[in-house]
Amino acid sequence: MKPAPFDYVRAESIPHALEALAGAGADADGDASILAGGQTLMPLLALRMATPSVIIDINRIEALAGVSRVAGHNGSGATRIGATTRQNHVLANELVKAHVPALAKATAFVGHHQTRNRGTLGGSVSLGEPAAEYPAIALTLDAVIEAHSSEGIRRIDALDFYLGAYSTALLPDELVVAVEYPDWPADSVTIVHEVTRRAGDFALVGLICQLAIAEGKVSRAAIGWFGMGATPMRSLAAEKALKGVSLGDIDPRAVAELAISETEPLEDKHATAHYRRSVGTKLFTRLLSAAVAERQKP
Amino acid sequence: MAQTTAARFVGQRLPRKEDKRLLTGRGSYVADVSLPGMVELAFVRSQVARGKIRGIDIEAARAYPGVRAVLSAKDLDSLGAKCQILHGGMAPAPHVDLLARDNVRYVGEPIVMVIADSRYIAEDAAGLVFVDCTMEDPVITIDDARDGPPVHPDFPTNVADRNAPPENPALEAAFASAAHVVEATIRHQRQAHVPMETRGVVAARQGVDELLVHLACQSPHLSAHLLANTFNLPQANIRVIAKDVGGAFGLKVQPWREELCAVAAALLLNRPVKWIEDRMENLTSAGQAREQEIHCRLALDANARLLAADYDYACNIGAFPQGVDTNFLVEMFLPGPYHLPLYRCRNVNYYSNTVGQAAYRGPWAMESLARETMMELAARQIGITPEELRRRNLITAADQPFSMVTGAVIDRVTPRECFEAILEKVDMATFRVEQAEARKAGRYLGIGFSVYIEPTTMGFGVLSSEFAHIRVDPTGAIIANMGTHSQGHGTATTMAQVIADELGVEYDRVTVHEDDSSRGAFGAGAGGSRQAVAGGGAAIKASALLAAKIKTIAGHMLNANPEMISMQGGRITVEGEPEVSTTLERIAATAYADPDRLPPGMEPGLEAQYRFRSPMFVFSNAAHACICEVDGETGITRVLRWIAAEDCGVMINPSIVEGQIAGGVVQAIGGVLSEEISYDAMGNPTAVTFKDYVIPSAHDVPQIEYIHLVTPSTSDGGFKGVGEGGAIVGPPALVNAVADALAPFGGRCYDLPLTPSRLLAIIDGGEG
Repeated sequence: MKPAPFDYVRAESIPHALEALAGAGADADGDASILAGGQTLMPLLALRMATPSVIIDINRIEALAGVSRVAGHNGSGATRIGATTRQNHVLANELVKAHVPALAKATAFVGHHQTRNRGTLGGSVSLGEPAAEYPAIALTLDAVIEAHSSEGIRRIDALDFYLGAYSTALLPDELVVAVEYPDWPADSVTIVHEVTRRAGDFALVGLICQLAIAEGKVSRAAIGWFGMGATPMRSLAAEKALKGVSLGDIDPRAVAELAISETEPLEDKHATAHYRRSVGTKLFTRLLSAAVAERQKP
Repeated sequence: MAQTTAARFVGQRLPRKEDKRLLTGRGSYVADVSLPGMVELAFVRSQVARGKIRGIDIEAARAYPGVRAVLSAKDLDSLGAKCQILHGGMAPAPHVDLLARDNVRYVGEPIVMVIADSRYIAEDAAGLVFVDCTMEDPVITIDDARDGPPVHPDFPTNVADRNAPPENPALEAAFASAAHVVEATIRHQRQAHVPMETRGVVAARQGVDELLVHLACQSPHLSAHLLANTFNLPQANIRVIAKDVGGAFGLKVQPWREELCAVAAALLLNRPVKWIEDRMENLTSAGQAREQEIHCRLALDANARLLAADYDYACNIGAFPQGVDTNFLVEMFLPGPYHLPLYRCRNVNYYSNTVGQAAYRGPWAMESLARETMMELAARQIGITPEELRRRNLITAADQPFSMVTGAVIDRVTPRECFEAILEKVDMATFRVEQAEARKAGRYLGIGFSVYIEPTTMGFGVLSSEFAHIRVDPTGAIIANMGTHSQGHGTATTMAQVIADELGVEYDRVTVHEDDSSRGAFGAGAGGSRQAVAGGGAAIKASALLAAKIKTIAGHMLNANPEMISMQGGRITVEGEPEVSTTLERIAATAYADPDRLPPGMEPGLEAQYRFRSPMFVFSNAAHACICEVDGETGITRVLRWIAAEDCGVMINPSIVEGQIAGGVVQAIGGVLSEEISYDAMGNPTAVTFKDYVIPSAHDVPQIEYIHLVTPSTSDGGFKGVGEGGAIVGPPALVNAVADALAPFGGRCYDLPLTPSRLLAIIDGGEG
């Protein structure tokens, strides 16, 4: 369990990292891996499941860390989080709590306190682990992933980012620099929950639901899942079905069943596909009922 | 006669002598050892479960910079190494080469050794070795093994060992006429031992034909003995050192293929060779355990008294077992602490194209799982409480000594008393009310019990005796060389407690060495829950001899009858004459440096040794209760309470006793709920890291509540073994608790592990 040989570049700036990425791409056998928090990459290296020719360490690039407010689409705001922002910083950040509560809630489920000290938001988003929280949050909240390369800057909608199991739209010479989460109305309903066998494990079933409410009706809905397919999943039909419905008319069981029908859970060592569907349906039904009831309280 | 052995330290929760170095990062494990000129070893392992090796290309690996040697089976022939399979029976066993020669028989089987300047380089070069191997359909499961082609071509079937007692008409008649017949099949998945420290070795040839071996093992002496046998070397030439070992659980009883390969490489290359098993190797090629299937039938009369029990037991022992989940002890102790007139157990061990078994803590644990699960199933089927069913069938003090139907005679055990103790602690009436209330609210609580008797000490074969050499050195310090060994057991502490009491000295004055086969003499270390009885017995007997000599010298120096000498806190006084005294330091100084002042003809020095004959079995016992909650939405089980009442005789150190119980209970929780070594149909392992081999975390284990009953054994000190119990009696308590929780759904699950998917299927089925 020792890594295969690799070259190591400590990137001092974003252009330096991009130059190293471009350089690796120019080499016929070139194959670069970005080292951020290392919580996934280091075990993969040790297992020789990843054997990059060069590792580009972006931990020293100060411009990549931090949380800020920026302008978003349609005149609303957005919260921009630098790629190397540590997960524990995301968890504690007041801007995240105020503007992206789903992300704050999800972060409490990410790994363990100790791993969150190293693990980064950008690392998790760009890896695309289908059972992890961050890719699903990005997908569900219509986040924009900002990728830089020596060719320029691409802003990729999360909806277009996750292509398959651990496969993303990121090109080999691109570096995720930040992720932007567009604002939702401040009084939106936010549900984030996951089922694990042990605290800190990958989710057997993970659920995200956010509802904007206007005049007692659902004005916008977003429903996403993790651990429920080869990629993070989105239940667009269920979202559409919820839109415009009065809170009192929501049938949580029907919504949950529709939403689940849009997932494609796999069977693995930890749970059957049937299990994931069954638990996901019950979980969503219960949490949606409770959230709607809470909102309807006088 | 003066009293010298009042217990001052035995029975106390003294902090362990080992902890200061272990908790401050100053332990010395094999991975910490580095010798001049040392090279490191990585294995090329089989990627197919069953096939024939057609050719091996090692040229690229040999040419890789930093590689010192690339060795395959034929390169080891000159050593004539003999590695001994232990399959649990007397039947002949197949030959095992250290490296696969013509056939491969499991994924992970070592084929080639690559030895290089570092482990990094060795792994690089191992990746360059090409093994041309055919791929045949493997024999993976028990069902495969029953009908499949033999794993070992020289053997006609996959049956390694079988015991099939003849038909018993009386037993069949009992089943035919019984008021109640209860039947079930229990399947236990395969498990790994997962010691925190994996296997490891640093082997170095020294002098002409001497071997120094740093080894993660359970006994330096036994390991030296086994290495001598394997390599046909005089044992006197082999020195095994194991200062600190981080858990073993049966995996490290004997050095096995990989460790032996490292020793072979050291002999061949004349260089120190290091191999530290990585976690993936540990989960895919270190010995494994369990994987059993048992069909159970109980017959009970109209008063719910046991009439007969009939078991049919099968175990998958892998390709090359080094010790198995012992079927003869399963067979001997399946009847447990109950009146049972008629009994039969058929059993069979099968070879398969999987990693071979190694004995795992409580290797016969299936006897408790099968019996205690069946007892609670019987209670539910008959419609009485599990408490009542046990009360009607458990043996009591009045029944002892009690002859089990298998012939084993048990005595001085308290299964009924332990069971009543946990019932009192639990308060069943209150619990049943809580359970009913919880069910109304959609929460599923359950309680399960288990009761058992444990054969400890196992005084046969290499475990027959234990050794202590104890001396007072010229400064008055007490130094013991013992054949005990700790992989976390704290024997340097417990043995010092025993010795301090016997010699009437302060505990701090006693140092126990057990880490080096060149010190002391043969002793088998950890295994069979033997060290309290065997090591404690040797310590008491050697201390008594040494105390007698000290008293003789003191009597001579103080002009008193040696029988009137009293030793306490290192002070030596004459009974009734408190003003006359001397110290151990003075006696030691005399014994070594002024021998002319010793009694005439006495041997100088102050030391004694004793080889203690261990009893065959010393019986301990326990009853456990577990309260759990099964989440109706997710099928996830949380253990809420765990109560353990045990009787391990006189406790040397209650904290260490509790540590032993806790460790076993945690392994029980993992074994019942989540741990599983699994293979796909082609024999590829599918749990190769801790992501997929799910062991309990601290969150998953409640504070264990202990109740200690003390019925001294008849062995010296009154000790009994306690090392394995939690792992034996723990599993059925949790299985029964889950069954109780799921009672409203009318289903049951005796296929381990009780995964969320399996339990939710019952819950969803019950709802429908």
